[in-house]
Amino acid sequence: MMKLKLCVLPLICCSHFTFADIAVIVHPSNSNAMDASAISRLFLGKSKKFPDGTVAIPLNQIESSTATVQFNSKALKKSSSQLKAYWSKLVFTGKGSPPKSVDNNGAVLELVSSNPNIIGYIDSNELTDKVKVLTTF
Amino acid sequence: MKRFHVYTLLCISLLFCCDALSEVRVNGFASIVAGQDTDKKGFVNSPYSDEIDFKPESKFALQVSADLSQGLSATAQIIARGANDFDAEFEWAYLSYDLNDNHTIRAGKLRLPFYKYSDYLDVGYAYPWIRPPRAMYSLTFSTYEGLSLLSNFSLSDWDISSNLIYGNLDDTFFATTNPTEGKLKDIYGINIQASKDWFSAYIAYVGTDVYIPTSSIEGAAQIVELIAPSRGTDISLDYDYGDFLGLGFTVDYDNWLVNTEWSTVAIEDSLTLDTEQWYVSLAYRFDSIMPYVSYQETESKSKTISISNAVIPEQIIPSQPTLNNFLQNALDGQMFEYNAYTIGVKYNFHASAALKFEYNRFNDIVDIGSLGSFENPESSGNFSVAIDLVF
Repeated sequence: MMKLKLCVLPLICCSHFTFADIAVIVHPSNSNAMDASAISRLFLGKSKKFPDGTVAIPLNQIESSTATVQFNSKALKKSSSQLKAYWSKLVFTGKGSPPKSVDNNGAVLELVSSNPNIIGYIDSNELTDKVKVLTTF
Repeated sequence: MKRFHVYTLLCISLLFCCDALSEVRVNGFASIVAGQDTDKKGFVNSPYSDEIDFKPESKFALQVSADLSQGLSATAQIIARGANDFDAEFEWAYLSYDLNDNHTIRAGKLRLPFYKYSDYLDVGYAYPWIRPPRAMYSLTFSTYEGLSLLSNFSLSDWDISSNLIYGNLDDTFFATTNPTEGKLKDIYGINIQASKDWFSAYIAYVGTDVYIPTSSIEGAAQIVELIAPSRGTDISLDYDYGDFLGLGFTVDYDNWLVNTEWSTVAIEDSLTLDTEQWYVSLAYRFDSIMPYVSYQETESKSKTISISNAVIPEQIIPSQPTLNNFLQNALDGQMFEYNAYTIGVKYNFHASAALKFEYNRFNDIVDIGSLGSFENPESSGNFSVAIDLVF
């Protein structure tokens, strides 16, 4: 119940969040083009590389962040409990582990702008020119 | 602001500066299950009685994995089961090495890849029910010691993964009914899964030499040796080839989840019956609430045996049956049939926890013994409540 309130409150209080898209971002030097399904495969651990063959490090935001909730439902098309079940199947069988998580949009921006291997997502109204947008949801 | 920088630095160091250090992850899961049968009789296929019990299916597990970098990692899973007085035991313990992007080799104590849910049998949070259908998930052993080669491929839009295994198992078989120290030698097997969008399917084959000298079968083998020398081996489980074939598919479309699996188990040259089992399950997701129903069934296949029509002497069996009659009775006495209907609901009340209620109606249909017969199956209901966690 607590969780529900936390999710709903920002939506009510700050209505602009409702309209903010989620931008999937990479380092400006990363020249790969990826569609929604390729992005979802990376974040679900089904592939580990960008189309050009370089190693991809997907980066999540923490579960409670608005960006994560939206990215999970729009890009991965899964609820947080479905995702949790999905990852527990892989974690407890030694077949994979979920992407690392950072606190907020700012942390994602900082890491993505400093490493060409990282791919992350942020609220599109937080975008800066230090990163390149692959696609928005 | 300060906290943010410290956290970011920490993340950066975890992500990119761990070449020299190994990164250790700790995960865990737990299930607290309470159950009660509606009938007083002790049913073979239920670990419960008519009094509420929290112990038989509750468990608590910790998994520690150390990523030693460059594709090498070590994983151990320690589980404390209520059925085992919560004594902690290693369920898995293995090293894993990524040969390349598509192949990983593992060595150690691993899970036998019999079923769809074999790899996470104990992780209640990962499936809808309180426990996987017992009729299907009926083999009482689930691990082996040896090697496993995991491979992943993409074939157009399909994800294909396979697990090739080789190893051995020393274990106490039939722990609850007739505890016997035995061995599965030269276990080899393959499990191939294919998935695309909302559909996934698998097929599994496992073969092994089975050595399980249970007292009842060994007793019969000794009688056979007396009457038909050197034919006792046709009765004993003395490294006879046994195999398992299983297949199943899952449809996870929109809010519907359909699961079905089928399998057969057989052991050659022994006084045992082949068995066949299957289930089908249907669930629907209403946001965080998922009701489900399922039907499961297992039965043995009748078999005829012929070794000799000589009569067994009175000193051994007073009624003096022929050897063939005696053996056929022993085989027919193992005939069984079991089915169950399940209705339940899974409620994801928290991102890492689920609450489940389940009612099972099961029928034990056995030919010989204190419970039901083919004409009058003995039935019971069972109510269970569970809380499953992952962390």
